[in-house]
Amino acid sequence: MTDLSSQSVRSHLNRRNRHQTMIKGFGMAAIGFAALMLFILVSSLVSSGYKAFTQTHVTVEVFVDPAEIKPERLPRGGFDDVLLASLKTYFPDVSGRADEKALEGIFSNGAQFTLRDRIVADPGLIGQSITMTVPTSDPFDQLAKDLVKRDTPETQRRVSDREIGWFDTLDQAGAISQPLNWGLISNTDSRFPELAGLKGALMGSFWALLVCFVISFPLGIGAAIYLEEFAPRNRLSDFIEVNINNLAAVPSVVFGLLALAVFIGWMGMPRSAPLVGGMTLALMTLPTIIIATRAALKAVPPSIREAALGVGASKHQVVFGHVLPLAMPGILTGTIIGLAQALGETAPLLLIGMNAFITSAPDSPLDSATALPTQIFIWADSPERGFVSRTSAAILVLLTFLITMNAIAIYLRSKFERKW
Amino acid sequence: MFDTQTPEKTVTSDTLKFTARDVHVYYDDAEAIKGVNVDILDKTVTAFIGPSGCGKSTFLRCLNRMNDTIPICRVTGEIRLDGQDIYDRSIDPVQLRAKVGMVFQKPNPFPKSIYDNVAYGPRIHGLANTRADLDVIVEKSLRRAALWDEAKDRLDSPGTGLSGGQQQRLCIARAVATAPEVLLMDEPCSALDPIATAQVEELIDELRQDYSVVIVTHSMQQAARVSQRTAFFHLGHLVEFGETSHIFTNPSDERTESYITGRIG
Ligand SMILES: Nc1ncnc2c1ncn2[C@@H]1O[C@H](COP(=O)(O)OP(=O)(O)OP(=O)(O)O)[C@@H](O)[C@H]1O
Ligand SMILES: [Mg+2]
Repeated sequence: MTDLSSQSVRSHLNRRNRHQTMIKGFGMAAIGFAALMLFILVSSLVSSGYKAFTQTHVTVEVFVDPAEIKPERLPRGGFDDVLLASLKTYFPDVSGRADEKALEGIFSNGAQFTLRDRIVADPGLIGQSITMTVPTSDPFDQLAKDLVKRDTPETQRRVSDREIGWFDTLDQAGAISQPLNWGLISNTDSRFPELAGLKGALMGSFWALLVCFVISFPLGIGAAIYLEEFAPRNRLSDFIEVNINNLAAVPSVVFGLLALAVFIGWMGMPRSAPLVGGMTLALMTLPTIIIATRAALKAVPPSIREAALGVGASKHQVVFGHVLPLAMPGILTGTIIGLAQALGETAPLLLIGMNAFITSAPDSPLDSATALPTQIFIWADSPERGFVSRTSAAILVLLTFLITMNAIAIYLRSKFERKW
Repeated sequence: MFDTQTPEKTVTSDTLKFTARDVHVYYDDAEAIKGVNVDILDKTVTAFIGPSGCGKSTFLRCLNRMNDTIPICRVTGEIRLDGQDIYDRSIDPVQLRAKVGMVFQKPNPFPKSIYDNVAYGPRIHGLANTRADLDVIVEKSLRRAALWDEAKDRLDSPGTGLSGGQQQRLCIARAVATAPEVLLMDEPCSALDPIATAQVEELIDELRQDYSVVIVTHSMQQAARVSQRTAFFHLGHLVEFGETSHIFTNPSDERTESYITGRIG
C-alpha cells in the first residue's frame, strides 16, 4: 500500500493544493474585476442619468384671453402671449420686447403647443382661467437640478442673475415642481431637451425587433432543423455549417452596408424604416438562432428519439412531436439572447438611416423612425446640456430592456431545465 | 448450475417469425456482424447472450431496422419476417417498427403523461378511432405491463416521475400498445433492481403467450429463467443457437462453455 505520509506524497499534495488555490484565485479576481467594471458603468450612468428621470415644471394660472385667442381662428392664436401674460402677474415690471422674450424663456418651447392642444380640444376654455403645469426650458431645468451652479461667474453661466431671480421668485411662490419625467417615455424626439422623449425610439425598436423576430425565428429554426435532423452529412453541409459560424462573427456594420446596398439601393425600400432595420437585424440574428437551435436539438437525449422511432414514429413525427418541444426552451433562450443583441445593435441602423431626426412615433414598420441605440447616438451627439443626462437616462432604459430580456431567458432556461 | 428446470420453459411453437440468412453488418468498414443465420420462433422467448461488443444489440436492431437511423451502418444479407423480406424496397421501416416493437436498455419514457406515453403509438398509427377505444388500449397495455394498479390513479402525471422499474414497465406498455407481433428487448433489466427485474421477467413470460420476444441480456441466470431458446454471439459470429436448457447444460462449442461458466466475456 502507498505510504500516504511519505515526504514525496506530501509535497505532491501541497503542490496540487497550491495550484488549485491559485486557479481559484485567478478566477475570483477575474470575476471581481468584471463586477467592478459593471458597477462603475452602471453607477456612472445612474449618477449622470438619474436627474433626467425628473423634469422641472412650472405651474401658472393662465387667463385664456379672448382678445388673443379667437375660436374661429383656432388652431392659431397668441398662445405665447397668453402664457407670457400669466408670468407677468408675478413680474409686472418686466417690459420691452427683449426682456419679455427672456421671461418667456422660462417656459419650454413646447408649452404654447400644450396650451394650444388643450384649447383646441375644448374651445369653451376661452375666456376662462386655467391652471397649467408645463416643463421649464432646459437652462432652468438645469438650474433647478443644480447642474448650473449659482456661484459660477454670470458671464460663464447659461442663466443670468436676473433669470435666477425670476426663478427663485417663482420657486418661493410654489410654482416650481419636479415631478417624475414621464415625457422621457411618452414624448417623441425634439430639439428641446426638456421635451425630448424616447417614444419614437421605443416604437422604432419595437417594430424593428418584431420584423426581426418574424423573419429570423421561423427561418432560423427551419434552417437548424433541416441541418441538424435531415441534411445529409457531406461536404456541402459542412461548408454551410462553417459559413453559418462565420456569419455569426461578421461585424454588424457589414450587415448594415449589405442592407444599404440590397434592401435600399437595389430593392428600393424606404430609408430609416424599421422594416429595413428589422430585416438587417434579422440577418445578424439568424446565425445566432440557428446555432442555438442546433445546440438545443443536439442536447435532446438520443433515447427520446429511439423511443419514438421504436414505436414506429416517422422521422418528422420524431422531430416535430418530440425533439422540437424538448428543445424549445433552449431555442427560446437563444432567440431572446439574439433579439437582445439585435436590440442593442447600432452600427447597421446608422447605415440605413435610422438616426434621422424624427419627431413623430412610427405607426407602422414603414414609417421613418429611430431605434433606442440610435436615439442614444443622436442625443449623445447633441450640443444642448440637457441631452447629457438624457443620454444616460436613455442608456439606462435600454439596459433595463436588455436585462429584462436576459432575465426572461435565464428564467426559461432554469424553468425547463432537464425534465427527462 | 442454473435454475432452468421450470417445467413450462419449453418451446411451444414451431411457427417461424424471423429468418435471418447470412446477415452482415458494417459500421463504415468495421464488420460488426459476420454472417449470422438465425430462426426466431413465434410465441417464444429468444435470448441473445455474449460478451460485450460482440454485436447482440447490432443484430437486434437489424430486426426492426433501427440501424437505418445510423448513417454509417450498412446491412447485407436477408432478414424475413413472416416470409417477407424486411429490407425490401416495398417495406416502410416505420410500419415495420409498429409490428416489431422495441424496449431499450435505459427506460426512456416520453416527458409526457403516462396516458400519452402509452397512447402515442396507437395515435400515430390510427389504431383507435375514439377516445373510448384509446382508453381501452391504454388500460389493456398497462395491465399487460403489470403497471395498471400502480398507474390507474395517476394517468395524467408525467411518465418520467415513475420509478426506474415502473418506467421500464411503462416502456413495455408503450411498445405493447401498438399491438406488435414481435417484441425486441435490449437489456431491459440492466437499470432495474432485483424486484423490478423479477416483475419484468414475469411479464416477459406472460407476453410469450401472444408475442415472439427477443431479449438481449448479460445475465446468464436471466437468459436461463425467461428464454426457451438462446443464441450465443461472439465477435460478430453466432456461435451457438438452440434450446436454452441445452445451451446451458450441454453446450457444444467450447467458447459457449467458457462464456457461461464465466471464463470469457
Ligand atoms: N453506432 C456505432 N458506430 C460504430 N460502431 C458501432 C456502433 N454501434 C456499435 N458499434 C460497434 O459494433 C460492435 C458491436 O456492438 P454492439 O453494440 O452490437 O455490441 P453488444 O453486443 O450489444 O455489446 P454490449 O453487450 O456491450 O451492449 C462493437 O464493436 C461496437 O464498437
Ligand atoms: Mg448492447
